[in-house]
Amino acid sequence: MMNYIWAGMLLSGIAVAAYRGVLGSFSEGLMTSCTEGVYFVIGLAGIMAVWSGLMNIAKDSGLIDAFARLVRPMIRFLFPKERNRETIAMMLMSFSANIFGAGNSATVFALKSMVMLDEENGHSPVASDAMCMFMAANMSMIQIVPVTIVKIRSDAGSSDPGSIILPSIIVGIVSMIASIAVCKIYERKSCK
Amino acid sequence: MTSLLSAISLCFIPGIITVIIFHGLWKRVHVYDSFIEGAKTGIATAVEILPFIIAIFIGIEAMVSSGAMEYLENIIGPVFEKLGIPRELTSLILLRPVSGSGSLALVERMVTTYGADSFLGNVASVMAGTCETVFYVIAVYFGATAVKKIRHSLLAGLVGYGVGVMASVWIYRLME
Repeated sequence: MMNYIWAGMLLSGIAVAAYRGVLGSFSEGLMTSCTEGVYFVIGLAGIMAVWSGLMNIAKDSGLIDAFARLVRPMIRFLFPKERNRETIAMMLMSFSANIFGAGNSATVFALKSMVMLDEENGHSPVASDAMCMFMAANMSMIQIVPVTIVKIRSDAGSSDPGSIILPSIIVGIVSMIASIAVCKIYERKSCK
Repeated sequence: MTSLLSAISLCFIPGIITVIIFHGLWKRVHVYDSFIEGAKTGIATAVEILPFIIAIFIGIEAMVSSGAMEYLENIIGPVFEKLGIPRELTSLILLRPVSGSGSLALVERMVTTYGADSFLGNVASVMAGTCETVFYVIAVYFGATAVKKIRHSLLAGLVGYGVGVMASVWIYRLME
């Protein structure tokens, strides 16, 4: 799937650039963007190291265990087969970081969760139900204060920059229900 | 209300750090050594996802800098209009699933052009605040794993996205 999407993006880009005669700026853009990708990961690496370090302390102290035991009932609907406490805690951290608008930290927790789910899946090339569900839930996770958007709005002279918060939460919940429903339907299908 | 919620968001990271460190000290964990140990694995994960990030970055850039994205907008715009989505939102809807920073820049332009409290300004804000960068997330998350077959995750993401887009338009339609 990813193969076709990616190839399609690049090839259609090249075709259109050639047709419009902008191949020069196209190549330049491509080279700049790969450097940007590296900068982005370098930035992420720092945050990643900090959270991985902190989570390791929490693991050693038993905090993760306690936390996972506490939240397990809440998460059981989404991940009925999940037993590993550390994975549960990590997934929940990712959800909460998303909710509180700590975007980069959320990415870090999510990646760690995916690595753990991958291990539980025996490094299989086929995604597990839990992986798909985690992704679906995480992608549509609500954010209680979309800080950046509120900032953009107040800069643009909005009379009430925060007015979008409630609608955003409602829309977020609706879209999350839709994503989770798709996963649940597929899980049922694959059981038969 | 907004300021209270912002305050909670603001305290999220420092709060967690405090709890983790105190709990660690209380349980007599060597917090410093433990931190270093964990940080190592964090760096390793970052290095692992780097190729996936670069791949998705150049894929998106190819679409945007060539102008292929604009063509796509012109084709899809009328279809969206039939669904009751204003044409002005087409580029945001197409850009949001692939680029977080790009779509924020677009929202910035839209709220200045149409006004932050206008129908379009509101819808664009909600859309960017709730909908995720679906393609980017899938590429990067699965990049950290051995997965080749992503099964229904893309569909789930896109359905959620589509529903989110429709809901952001309709919530303001109904409020008008």
